[in-house]
Order: sequence, then C-alpha cells, then structure tokens
Amino acid sequence: MRIALGLMLLCVGVSVRATAGSDVLEGRALTFPGDYGSHAEFRTEWWYLTGWLKTEGESLGFQITFFRTRPTVDVDNLSSFTPRQLLIAHCALSDPQRGRLWQDQRIRRAGLGLAEAMSGDTHVWIDDWSLEHKSATYIAKILAEDFALNLSIRTTQQPLLNGRAGYSQKGPSPLSASYYYSIPHLQVIGNITRDGKSDAVHGEAWLDHEWSSQYLDGSAIGWEWVGINLNDGGALMAFRIRNPKGESHWTGGTLRDAHGTTQVFQPHDVEFQAKRTWVSPRTGIKYPVQWHIRAGSREFDLKPLLDDQENDTRLSTGAVYWEGAVSASEAGKDSGRGYLELTGYGEPLRLR
Amino acid sequence: MFGQSRIAWRVWSLLLLAQLREQPVRMLITVVAIALGVALGTAVYLVNNAALNEFGLASKRLVGSADLIVQGPREAFPESVFVTLAHDPAVSLASPILELEAAIPGVRDAFKVLGVDVFRASAMQPQLMGDIAPHILQLFATDSIIVSNQAAVQLHLRRGDLLQVIVGSKAKTLHILDILSPDTYSQSLGIMDIASAQWIFESIGDLNRVDLRVKNGVNLESFKKILAAQLPASVLVITPQVERDRAVTVTRAYRVNLNMLAMIALLTGAFLVFSTQSLSVLRRRHSLALLRALGVTRLALQSALLGEGVALGVAGSLLGVLLGTFLAAIILQLLVGDLGNNQLQVVGASLRAAPLALIAFLIIGTVVTSAGAWFPARSAARQSASALKGAINASPRTGAGRYFSIALLGLGIVLTRIPAVGGIPLFGYLAVAALLFGSILLVPLLWVKVLRKMPRTHHVVLDTAVAQMRDNVKLSTLSLSSIIVSFSLMVAMAIMVYSFRVSFDHWLTKLLPADMQMREPLGNDTAFWSVQDQARLTAVAGVSRIDFRRTRLISLDAVHAAITLIARDFNVNNIADILPLVQSSALPSTKLPPIWISEAVQDIYGYKIGSEVVVPLAGRQHRCFVAGIWRDYARPAGAIVISRQAYQTATGDHNANEGSIWLSDGQNAARVAAMVRAQFALQDSIEIVTSSAVKERSMKLFDHAFVITYALEAVAVLIGLAGLSFATSSTALARRAEFGMLKYIGLRRRQVIGILATEGMLSSVFGAIFGLTLGAVLSLVLVFVINRQSFNWSIDLAVPIWQLAILGLVLVTAATLTAIISGRAATAGDAVRAVREDW
Amino acid sequence: MPLKAPARLDIPVLRLEGLVKRFKVDRPALFEGLNLELWPGEYLAIMGESGVGKSTLLNLLAGLDHADSGRILMGGIELSNLDDDALTLMRRHSVGFVFQAFHVLPYLSVAQNVALPLDLLGVSEPERSMRTTQMLDAVGLGSMASRYARELSGGEVQRIAIARALVHRPALVLADEPTGNLDSRNAAQILGLLRTQIKANAGAGILITHSRVAAESADRILVLTCDGLVSLAASA
Repeated sequence: MRIALGLMLLCVGVSVRATAGSDVLEGRALTFPGDYGSHAEFRTEWWYLTGWLKTEGESLGFQITFFRTRPTVDVDNLSSFTPRQLLIAHCALSDPQRGRLWQDQRIRRAGLGLAEAMSGDTHVWIDDWSLEHKSATYIAKILAEDFALNLSIRTTQQPLLNGRAGYSQKGPSPLSASYYYSIPHLQVIGNITRDGKSDAVHGEAWLDHEWSSQYLDGSAIGWEWVGINLNDGGALMAFRIRNPKGESHWTGGTLRDAHGTTQVFQPHDVEFQAKRTWVSPRTGIKYPVQWHIRAGSREFDLKPLLDDQENDTRLSTGAVYWEGAVSASEAGKDSGRGYLELTGYGEPLRLR
Repeated sequence: MFGQSRIAWRVWSLLLLAQLREQPVRMLITVVAIALGVALGTAVYLVNNAALNEFGLASKRLVGSADLIVQGPREAFPESVFVTLAHDPAVSLASPILELEAAIPGVRDAFKVLGVDVFRASAMQPQLMGDIAPHILQLFATDSIIVSNQAAVQLHLRRGDLLQVIVGSKAKTLHILDILSPDTYSQSLGIMDIASAQWIFESIGDLNRVDLRVKNGVNLESFKKILAAQLPASVLVITPQVERDRAVTVTRAYRVNLNMLAMIALLTGAFLVFSTQSLSVLRRRHSLALLRALGVTRLALQSALLGEGVALGVAGSLLGVLLGTFLAAIILQLLVGDLGNNQLQVVGASLRAAPLALIAFLIIGTVVTSAGAWFPARSAARQSASALKGAINASPRTGAGRYFSIALLGLGIVLTRIPAVGGIPLFGYLAVAALLFGSILLVPLLWVKVLRKMPRTHHVVLDTAVAQMRDNVKLSTLSLSSIIVSFSLMVAMAIMVYSFRVSFDHWLTKLLPADMQMREPLGNDTAFWSVQDQARLTAVAGVSRIDFRRTRLISLDAVHAAITLIARDFNVNNIADILPLVQSSALPSTKLPPIWISEAVQDIYGYKIGSEVVVPLAGRQHRCFVAGIWRDYARPAGAIVISRQAYQTATGDHNANEGSIWLSDGQNAARVAAMVRAQFALQDSIEIVTSSAVKERSMKLFDHAFVITYALEAVAVLIGLAGLSFATSSTALARRAEFGMLKYIGLRRRQVIGILATEGMLSSVFGAIFGLTLGAVLSLVLVFVINRQSFNWSIDLAVPIWQLAILGLVLVTAATLTAIISGRAATAGDAVRAVREDW
Repeated sequence: MPLKAPARLDIPVLRLEGLVKRFKVDRPALFEGLNLELWPGEYLAIMGESGVGKSTLLNLLAGLDHADSGRILMGGIELSNLDDDALTLMRRHSVGFVFQAFHVLPYLSVAQNVALPLDLLGVSEPERSMRTTQMLDAVGLGSMASRYARELSGGEVQRIAIARALVHRPALVLADEPTGNLDSRNAAQILGLLRTQIKANAGAGILITHSRVAAESADRILVLTCDGLVSLAASA
C-alpha cells in the first residue's frame, strides 16, 4: 500500500508543494460506490490489490497496484498531453517454485483515453493494464513483458473502514492522514500466464484504496504494513512507521473479527517484532522477513511464502523494497494469509 | 639448387638498391605522388566515415529501439493518429513526438527541439532519456527545456539560463532546466515535454512523429503496409535504418570532388611510376640484357622489375595512409566533420580505427602503382636478350597498343551511359580512367605521325631534334605520359569547376532579382510572418514591393530525404523570368495546379515534364502537374515550386517565412532594412541582406570550397612536371655520348642544348595540345555524367580559355626550361670521355 | 655442393651440325651448313668480315637466338630442345661472356660485378668471396674490388668482364670482340689474360673477332663465310 506514496514522493521531488491538493479531514463520511472511484482533487491515491493464488499444486502471491498522483502543472496549457494526473501501475507475482518474483511497472500521464483514473467507481487503466469494478466484481488485466494476469475478483464482505470511519492518521499531526478503506476476503478466479504458459488460478485477495494530499511527516524513514485475511473470516490490517533511529514513530491498525465487529487500534495497541532477516543477493539489503505482531490482545506470527520477494523499481522510481505474500499463525496455529510490505531498509527513503 | 624466387629476390635487391642510390630524388617524387593520391583518398574516406559514424550514433540515439517510425510532414498531423496507433493491438508501445526546428533570434541555423512524452520515450530511447528521469516533474513546467551539451556550447547556455525562441513573429522564453552530458547526445538538441512543446510552439493537437515498438511475432513489413494504408496522406511509415541511410545519401554526393582529386593524384603517381620504370628500363637495357645473358630467367627479371614498382607502391601507399590518417585527424580537429559543406553538420566526430579500409587503400595504391610498373617490366623481360646485339630497338610496337586503345576509348564512351550505382557515379569514374588510359596509349602513335609530318627545315638544330625524337619515340613519349595524365585531369577539373562557377553565378542572378532578401532562420519550423505581419512589412516606407514565399519541408516517399516546397507569387506566363528553367512545357488545359520541380526531384523521383504527381499538402494528397524543371544548386534533396495561391487554397496557410524586397527608387538599403527590422519586437529575429551581399557571400563560399581543389590540382601538375624534368635530365645524361659526337662534328654547345630545348618544347607543345584535348573530353564526362549523377543538378559547359592557355604555356615553358637545364648539365663534361662511356 | 657436373672430356663442349640462319624466311641465308666441334681445353677464334654474321652466331651459341635449321649441342644437349628458362639456366651454369661493349653494371662495385654469376648460382659465403677475390687477383684488379665499375678505364672494365666470365668456371667462354674498344697495348694484355684464364679453367673458349692480330691469340682460327666455317692454319 504505502510504498505507493514513497515512490510518488521520490518521483515528484521538489516541485510539488504540500498544499497542492484537498486536505484530509476527519468526519467526512465515505460513500459508495462514489468513493470507489478516483478523487482527482487529492494529490495521491492508490488501489492496491494483494493476495494468494493457487494453481494445481502451486501457491503464488500477487500484487497489482494503480497509483495516481497530481503533479504541479501549468493549468493554462491546452495540450491534451498536459500531465494533470500521472498514473503508475506495478504488478508482481511471487513464484516460490521458481524462487523468483515476476514484476513489471508502467508510468503514464493520464489523458487521450490511453491512461485514466475515473471517478464514480473504480476504473483505472494504463494502456492494456486495467482494474475495473463492476457489480461487486473487480476485473484486473495485466499484460506484462513476460507474464500476464487476468483475474476476476468478487467481493464477499463490506469495505473495512480503517482508522476513524475511514480517516486514517499517519503521524502525531492530524493533517498527516488519509482516507482509507480495505476490502478483505475477495474471491479470485482467473488465469495467469508465465513465459507464454497459461494456468487457471483461484484464491483470496485484499484490496486497499487510499487517498490523501499529505501523507507522512518529515520524521519517517520507512514502514511495515500487513494485511491478513484470517481463516475465520476476520481481517487484520496493521502498520508501523519508523523514525530514522529505527524506532516506532506511529502505529495503527484495524481488526474485524469473525462476527464482523471492528476494532480500531491506537498507536500503543500495535507492536512489530522482527524475528528473522534475509539478505538480498542482488542489493545486499537486509530485510526482516519474519515477524511477531501484537494487535490489541491478539498476537500473530508472520512467515513469508518465499524469502526473495524484493521489488526493484529503481529504474523508474528509485525505490527498492520488500513486498510479499505471508502466512499468519496464532499460538502456532495457522490463522490466515496476507501480504507484508517492508520499506526503508536500503538507503533511507527521502521523504518530506 | 637455390630457388628461383631467391634469385629473383637477389636480382631485385641489386636492381632496386642501385636504383635508389642512383636516383633518390626521382624515387622520392614518385613515392610522394603515390602517397598524395592515397593520402587524399584515405583522408576523404576517414573524415566522411567519422562524420557518418557520428551522425549514425546521433541518429541511433534519436531513434533508439523503435521498430518503426511514423513520420509526418513538418507541419504535423493530428495527435489522434497517435491515439489510434497506441490502441493498435499489434503495437506494444507508441511514443508521440513533436520534432521541430526552432528559430532562435540572431542564430543562423535552426535549433532542433524534440517534444517527448518522457514516460513513453524512456522505453524507446533509454540512453537519451536516462539523464532526464530525475527532472521529469520539473520538465512539466511549460517553459522548461533540457539541452544537449553541444547546444549549450553553441548557444552559450548554462543551467538556469533563459533561451528565446521565435514562434510566428513573437519571441517566447524558455528556461534551461539542465544540460545533458556530452556522452548522452553529441549533437545540438533540446528536449521538452510534449505538452510544453505543443503549447510553446502553438501546435496544440499536433504531432509529427510517433515511434512504434510492435509486439513479438508481428511481421514488420506487412504491418508497415497495413499502417501505410490507414495513415493520412503524407504520413509515412519508415524503418529506422532508412532514417540513417538518408544521411549517407546526403553525404555521398559532396565527396565527388575530393575523390576525383585523389584519383588524379593516384593516377599521376601511377603514370609517374610507369614512365620512371619505362625510362629506367630503357636506360638500363644493357644491364638488363647482361643479366639475361648471365642466366637470369625472363620471369625472374620481370618479377624483379615489377618488384621495383611494387616497392615504390608499398612505400608510397604506406606513407599515404599515414599521411591521410594524419590529415583526417587534423580536419576533424579543426572543422566539424562535414568537409566544409553544410549538408551534414556533425560535431565531435572522432577518427575511428578503420583497419580494413586502410588496408584497402594500401592495396589500391600498391596495385595501381604495380600496374604502372608491370608494362615496362614485361616489355623489358621480353626484349632484353636481343639488346646485347648492340643496336637497341627502342621504338614502340605501335600496332599492339592501337586496338587496346580503341577498345578502352569505346569502353569509356559506353561507361558514360551507365547510371549511377546507389548515388555514386562509379561508372563515370571508370569512364574517366578508361578514356584516360585509352588516350595515353594513343600518345606514341600520334606522336610518330606528328613527327613524320614535320617538314624538314634545313635548320640543323630543329631537324636534328625532330630526327632524334622520331628515332626515339618511345623515350620522348614516355616522359610525356605522366605529365599528360596530370595535365589533362587538371584541365578537366578546371573546366568543370569553371563551368560550375559560371552556372552558379547565373543561377544566383536569376534567383536574386530583388534588391534585398529577408528570411527567418534557415530550415526552421517555428518562425513565420502572419498576414498582418506581411501587410506591415509591405507598408514600410521605402519598400516598393515584397514577394513573400512560404517554404516547407515535405516527404514524397518513405525512402528519400524531405524535399523543400516553395510557395511563391508569380505570373505563370513569366515563370522563366524568376526560375532558372532547364525544361518547360506550355500549360495544358488541365485544371491541376502546375508545379515546377528541381532537377533533383526529376532524377530522384523520376518525375517528368507533363507528369501528374501527388504532393502531400496539409495532410491531403493533391494531384499536381509538372509544368517545368528548374535548376537548383541550394537543395540537393530536391525542391518544388508551386504558386502561393494554389498552396494557400490547399492548406489555408497564408503565412510566409521568406521574402524578396524591391526598394522604391533612391532608397537606401540599410535604412529600409533597419525599418523592416523595427517591425519586430526581436530585431535580430530575421535575416535581411541585400541581394548583392548574398551573391557575394555565396560566390566567396563557392571559391572557398574549391580552394583545396585548386591547391591539389597544382600539386598534381607540379609532380607531373617533376616527373617530366627527371625524364628529360636522365635521357639527356644517357645521351651524353651522342652530344659528344655532335660536338665532334662541329656543333656548338649552345646548338646541342638548343636541340634538347627544341625537343622539350616540341614534345611539350604536343603534350599540352593533347592534354587540353583529352582534358576537354574528360571534362564532358565530369560535367555531364559525374556531376549530374553525384549532385542531381546540371551545369552548363563553360571553358576557361585564358586559364587553360596560361596553364598550357606554363607547361611548355617548364618543359623547355627543364630541357635546357638538363642539356647544360649533360654537355658540361669531357666530350671524348662521353663518347667512350656509352654503357 | 658441386657447382656443376665435372666437365666431361669424352664429348665436345660444343658441336654445330649443319647450322643455317636467315635474317628473313624468304631471304638468302646469312650462313649455311655450319659444322663445328669444340673440345674441352680448346681455344678457338672465329673471324669474319663485318656483316657476315659473327654476332648472330654468338647469339645462337648463347641460346639468345634460334637457328633456322641445324643443331647446336652444348655438352651433348641440343639447345633447340630447351625452352627459354632452360636456356637461361644453361647459360647461367655453363657459359661465360665477354662483350665488345663492356657490359658491366656501372652502379655495382667491381667485386659485385664479378660475383654476379655466383649470386645467380646461389653460391654463398665464404666461397663466393674467396672465388671472387681469386678471380680479381688473377685479372690484376685485386686492389680495386670495392670501386664502382663506372670509375674504371676501358681496359680495367674489360678485365672485370673476363673475371666475371670465368668466376663460375663455365664449360665455355664466349668472347665477342673483347678488345674492340681498346688501344693496342691494352688489347694485347686483355687477349693474353683471356687466353691464360680460359686455359687455367680447363674449359673451352671461342673468341669472335674481325682482327687477325686478336685471332692469333687463340689455338686455332676459323673464318666465317657464307659457305660455313673455313679453317685457317694458326700461326703462332
């Protein structure tokens, strides 16, 4: 989820002023389907789809992300190429049998019908990559260089509003916040293609949709984020933002139990404890890939589907991070599947 | 038993070392002549190769990894074309580009600006866009531009500076965001965001290029055809290679001049070897005969003599290749690599190791030289045994050469009829060589005839001279052959250059009838005068009339470089007054708009007078009628003239970017020019000069371009003269016994010298006349075949009579003086001793 | 390595059988029916009027010209059976020449001129120097070995020619008017030298001359007429 912001900030750089977008204020009620769609007046926004897939005999992780950002441009320019919005898509497939991560990315200016993020309901695309929400189903189509995803993703639960009714605070200042909802327990069917070979898949996924104009404050260097579909039908989202010393700067989370009761965590409710690290043979970066998490009264152990789920987007956006499929257990008992994101473990992300 | 080769080698080293010891200066001059030819060829090749390579690298950077380039006319096509292409299922990536030649105030040449969508282009041109990635968002600012290092140097720009560009007749200011490293792109270039480029250059909705990468498995050729059928008229689909080939075609033509000079020098060298070897064979006939008598086989002797020539050839070629490489390095250091011609400006071209080419030049030089040495070596080996009998038969086998000569001349004439190969007048050059060799073979035949016809005058000196030459035709013609070669080629070049100059002069006069010329920076797409501007300009006090023109670049097909479309006002009936027509027809009753094509268009596209051709205007194909063909020395890629009215009807474009100004009577040109300038906010945004200044500058440039030609011609003739003087002096020395005898029978020394001088004069007069005639014939090939095929323009033959007369006179004088000097040296010794020393 | 097979004493060095030579096919013969046998150790003079074909005969003997009919056998080998290269090799091995005009290479040193036949036969050092020096000493030019031929007088040049003709010990030495350009004192010396050296070499020699005085330096004299070679008693 949040890596989107990091990428954007890196890419947007100096010229983007903090005021270039509507403010996120507590108390604005999220309404659907309108809030499924794009919020062009906010500076950044993303749809972040993660989950586990099964072929015959294989377990795979997948991640499809569409980011939208609004650079500062000359509003007088009548050119249809004027980059009023930029769209970035990133897609990764964790393949434990091959021990590798398939990934590809695209960045485009919105316009001319070639790349757009529509308002009203989820419909975002870059050329032939698209994510569209229609009658309780998301259709995701990704045609990457050497792999492809064609997924139909059915919703089974209501959106889970994170933070205070969708107002998710990211730091001590109330201005550093986003509107944020998740949809857990999405049922996936479709097929994936790797090196020209197609496989039917099914599985379970998680969607994050978040928009903001000022996300982080200056004292953050990276974060952990996790979203788990619990086996009992519940769902857990937890995050920790780290300061330059590597300590917790802000934490938060949401837990919906099997009965549909939602618990919103305060910073002191959430704890992240690293258990095992893995060193990337490509970048030499050391990632804690196994975790113990406390969320309120419940404690989870997270184990990665495979160690090497490092995402390298240095060529386009300059970031290297870890994002991958994990399984969760409580007291040694398997309790769910989800995705974990780890950022800021290489050179510190330069955020402002 | 020792091998034949070992013996040949031994004989060879004996002969050659002796030659070197005996005739060091002559050997040196021969080597220098060969070296000069090879050096010139090598240098031309290397400079051109470096320039082309640099151009190739630059264009590779610009094209990147695109599979296809969809290219429109310079005035662009709608961006919907790009959207359609981007949606095409066969296309994996489409990158929209607005490519413009921007006008910069006070700068003569236009400045290339690419408006790109960096996100799409970075996949297509990763090397070019790599430096830009960190600045992507700043580049979105409409006035941001990133310039190449070369542009920064040329326009004196630093990061953060402002740069003015002319759009229409207004100035707009850009901000230099960054400067690319020289490694990223070596030529002059500016890169903007596509949205900014459309906005700044007032081209909203327009593109003129889309780079395409197709999906795996798509057949490029068939996809190209499908696209071509879908795209608007005048939008072409080309492969990146074509883009690069165009540059090669453009540069090919201007090498003709220098290649011709290289050929002159090399041939002069070869003939020098021929005459030197022939003379030395004659001079050494007793020695050679002796060697045969002592048991040197014919083959060994021939190999040894050929070996002498080969040694000279290798030495000369080696020196030439070194010299040429050195020369090329200097040229590349001093100039941009375009050989002084503005058709292809490439900066930063560096000498590249081209071992194969250098070896080729080494071989060419050696082979040509060896050919020169082969004939004398063969004839020496054939006849040397009989030389022992005492009387040496030195007269040529006149019959043998005749048929060969006639065959060569015939071949030469046939070769002139063969068209160019890939734009190179290869057969034209071969024709020159064939005619030259054929004619040179005729020299002894003709010389014999002339000498036989020579009347007896009972003047002892004259008669003796004629008799001696008649008896030694071979000797006297040999010394003539190398000077005839260089002289005739020089005459041919002189006639061609003079013809070109005269034609160029006439052409300029025709094209510049007005008092003053004004225009926007050369080749730019962005600056123009609107109808209001034109009205204001015409209203300037002192201006009697302005003929406005609109010039645009258009592509007639996907293969050739863009041609210039010139829309101008004229009365069709007076077309011959304003255009240097070479061919025209009466206007037919057809309603099609008439166009007048330049000779280049005629040659390159095969259009004929009366043809109906299709001209893309404003994105639509317009059928036009070829009403005439005119001569154009300014646009080698071709040009089409159309009436401005027809152009405006077809395009709706009423703007202009060039104009000819007629002043009211008695007006001061400078004052009017100042007032015209004052009409614009940016006073140095237009170029305005008097026609006479344009003409003067053009002629100066012309002469400047040919300075090297004149210089090298002179060197070739000097070498020829040196060869002649060596021949004269060595034969004079060889004839010391004869002179001694003449003195015995009562001739005074002055008379003996007089005989030599007469011989020198008579033979050089013959040589000069022969050379002039041959040169005139060769000049026809140069003017009507090589020039036409290289440049695709015609020139009228004009003969610089005085220049040639002086050249001939210099030749005769030099030859006579040489003879006198040699005679003095030869008659200085003791007559008795001279008689005895008949080796 | 032997320079050549030892001269055979049992066959003539040179044998002419019915030799005919015409200038042109339809012209009367220059000479007709020449017969001659020359044995090792023999030194023969051939005399004749100017234009009778002395030089032509010499060229025929040297394999530089072809007879119209008849045979020339050199050491038993018929010359007309040899091609140009074989003739050249035959000359290289078996014949030494002394010419009227001093045919030496002016741009070579005296020693180099003399060593030429050895060079052509591939004789290497030190044998080449040794023989050259011996030969130069024999003709009295030992002190001039390193001078250029063109710096010498006519008599000296002719000595070079004799040295060169004999340095490779040919079976046959052909001398064509070797004293034609010399004064009588020099001529006598050269003729003496030539005879001495031919005899010292144990080869055969033919001296072609129009001078009776010169001819008398040989063992026997034949006169070339259009009818053939006519013997003339040698008078010592």
